[in-house]
Amino acid sequence: MEQAVHLDGITKRFPGVVANDDVDLAVEKGTVHALLGENGAGKTTLMNVLYGLYQPTEGTVNVHGETQQFDSPRDAIDEGVGMIHQHFMLVDPMTVTENITLGNEPRKWLGLTVDSDQSRKQVRELSERYGFDVDPDARIEDVGVGVQQRVEILKALYRGADVLILDEPTAVLTPQEVDDLFRVLEELTDQGKTIIFITHKLGEAMEAADEITVLREGKNVGTVAADDITREELAEMMVGREVLLDLDRDPAEPGRSILDVENLVVEDDRGVNAVDGISLEVRAGEVLGIAGVDGNGQSELVEAITGLQLPDEGTITYDGVDRTTDSRRERIEAGLAYIPEDRQERGLVMDFDLVENGLLGSQHAPDYSSKGRIDWDYTRDHAEEIIEEYDVRPPDANAHAKSLSGGNQQKFVVGREFARDPRLVVASHPTRGVDVGSMEFIHDQINALREAGRAVLLISSNLDEVQSLSDRLAVVYEGEIVDIVDPERVTEEQLGLLMAGEQPDAAPTIAADGEGHQ
Amino acid sequence: MTDDSAMNRLSSMSGRLFIAAAAFLALAVLAGFGLFAPESTLGQIFWVLASKSTLSSTLRLSVPIVLAALGGIFAEKSGIINIGLEGLLIIAAFAAIFGADVTGSLWLGFLIGIVASTLLAGVFAVVCIEFRADQIIAGLAVWLIALGLAPFASQVFYGGPNTSSVGTFDTITVPTLADIPFFGALFDASPAVYIMFLAVAASWYVLNRTTFGRWVRAAGENPKALDTAGVDVSRVRYAAVLLSGVLSGMGGAALAINIGQFTGNGPTMVNGKGFIAIVAYLFGNYNPVGALLSTTLFAGLDAVQLRLQTADVIAVPDSLVQTIPFVAVIVVLALVGKTRLPEAAGEHYESGEE
Repeated sequence: MEQAVHLDGITKRFPGVVANDDVDLAVEKGTVHALLGENGAGKTTLMNVLYGLYQPTEGTVNVHGETQQFDSPRDAIDEGVGMIHQHFMLVDPMTVTENITLGNEPRKWLGLTVDSDQSRKQVRELSERYGFDVDPDARIEDVGVGVQQRVEILKALYRGADVLILDEPTAVLTPQEVDDLFRVLEELTDQGKTIIFITHKLGEAMEAADEITVLREGKNVGTVAADDITREELAEMMVGREVLLDLDRDPAEPGRSILDVENLVVEDDRGVNAVDGISLEVRAGEVLGIAGVDGNGQSELVEAITGLQLPDEGTITYDGVDRTTDSRRERIEAGLAYIPEDRQERGLVMDFDLVENGLLGSQHAPDYSSKGRIDWDYTRDHAEEIIEEYDVRPPDANAHAKSLSGGNQQKFVVGREFARDPRLVVASHPTRGVDVGSMEFIHDQINALREAGRAVLLISSNLDEVQSLSDRLAVVYEGEIVDIVDPERVTEEQLGLLMAGEQPDAAPTIAADGEGHQ
Repeated sequence: MTDDSAMNRLSSMSGRLFIAAAAFLALAVLAGFGLFAPESTLGQIFWVLASKSTLSSTLRLSVPIVLAALGGIFAEKSGIINIGLEGLLIIAAFAAIFGADVTGSLWLGFLIGIVASTLLAGVFAVVCIEFRADQIIAGLAVWLIALGLAPFASQVFYGGPNTSSVGTFDTITVPTLADIPFFGALFDASPAVYIMFLAVAASWYVLNRTTFGRWVRAAGENPKALDTAGVDVSRVRYAAVLLSGVLSGMGGAALAINIGQFTGNGPTMVNGKGFIAIVAYLFGNYNPVGALLSTTLFAGLDAVQLRLQTADVIAVPDSLVQTIPFVAVIVVLALVGKTRLPEAAGEHYESGEE
């Protein structure tokens, strides 16, 4: 087989860091190649070298059998290498066509004017050739993320790309959109294009790729055929030690009720009842999981419980005290910890350093401040403790939150919230966008809280996660709890039906005391 | 997402439509009085409004505002908020008169006004793009520099804040068409008025139909997208800011040559027109035609208030009448709701940064 890309002994050093250490990578033409590794393993750096954004310290880049010297992405594009970044480079108010042709517009009238008919025709032809379902005249801001991603791919194809690099392409997609993407990748390789995609998700690499190369700490750990390897073996290659994908743990010994929600109704922005009469109870020493397709009222339920939005009806009780209308501050002081679903939006201030971020939520606590003056020494010690205990990398309290990778940001948020010694933890998608090693660690921490007799409400769209961590699993559909089941005995099929709002026969329903639901 | 953006577009539209409808209704009511009760106060106001001289003074007042607004549109669309338009108008106004005085040609003076304004815009561009200065502060500096420099230069060359008189452009009159009631004013105007209309059409075309216009919009919305598409963002922004200097220069030069003299007392003869221009293009939602229409609204009200003062039809103190355009600006801005700023406006962009 012909090699589309061959990286030979690539080393990339940054001041004080070796991001890639003598990495070889060979990718055959017409295949999908996954580049797998934890956050910070050097995957993106390696691909930025191939795309001409970085120049390698040592080693050579060969594309289609010829050694290349790429000084900028422009050079890479000229040789047929295109890259689709994790954050899309699209101009929102412009149309699909305008975005695809940007910088390479077909022109008319002495080159002064954009030939829009010609652009539209070219885009339509390209889109049809690869079986993309994209409207050339739609505005980017009006189309979904999946379509935006296809526009990015079309943009690269329009510039003549043969080799497409996709950086974490599934991070922003729904499971449905991920399936569509994999179909698109298949269509592209059928037509002779070569795909390299960066991911930290084992399952995706195994599903979509022909070959998988694993990077760890900047080194190539090995290249394997996707068909010849198991999840456990891959996980071990990534992390460098054995990973327990399933947890072993003692049965729950729930104590008294910590969180009691009665007949809660929460309207969303449009005035629709997003939460429509939910009652639930979380007891000390147990994890109550909430499963459901995103958008069935989970966000609003969490906002009402954590005090970000006031409910329209119903009551919320913490440990016997009615806190339905309490402020965030009162709730935090009552022992609530909250891991928000979007850490960059609600968990951290991206332009603050970790010392300041570590203070968030504790600024009124007596240890941290008195009479409106903050004790920065204490706060710094606190941040450094979180960094050490939760293995946040780089271990630098002066680093700005935005300079950390997603997994490390999440570890810091989790560490800050758990360090409050909470009685009640509301964890919303606590491991979204986090690599395997960090995921395992966060799961351990949630279990430790449960062992210590705390109450945990866990919301996640990752079924493996809610099933393995929860003691009881509530399934929500259109703002109501369809059923509360035993996560160990429920089958995936039954869960699927429950999430679609149907009650399957023989579901292992738990009839818990004090539940408002039958 | 779809609903939201559609709703936003709709709500920002409805504010503008409401203002347009209200203005139209008010005109219709006045017209009714004008036709059926010409002696009533409202009837008299209508005839003040509907006169040819009101339109021609509206157009004259509009020229500097519209041209500066066009310049502001190019700069801000490319991501550089140029609040120094006022300063560009001032410097161009003085340089045009000085140039005309020295060379003896009004048109050469007009050109020299444009050059001066473009040079100052160039300094602003270098400070913002090369040296990453805060655009608002740099823009204020442009205004303050011009506000100090122009009267000072006048003091040096003419011994006072006002220059000597150099004469004005002759009006261009289109035969027959100029005799049409009211709209005849469009065909009996100074060359600057025709330049303004040409500039509006050309700006619209450049922004919406040319590659350069597309790059300008991309530079202001998502410079990184433009950069990765292989277009130099800084060059596009330099070009856009220099263009704002050229357009404002035309505006300032036209303003001064319209009077034939530069007057430099207090806020100078420019007197806030550069700031009104910012309001005009925001109200016009960065559309050159929208900026023209909103300017004619303000300038029209200004012309009306001047005429009302002299016509003496209503028993309201002059100083209250003078506030009409400014009250209108506030009302209009409150009703328009939010204008969508280009996403990256005001942000520095450096290629290759994460």
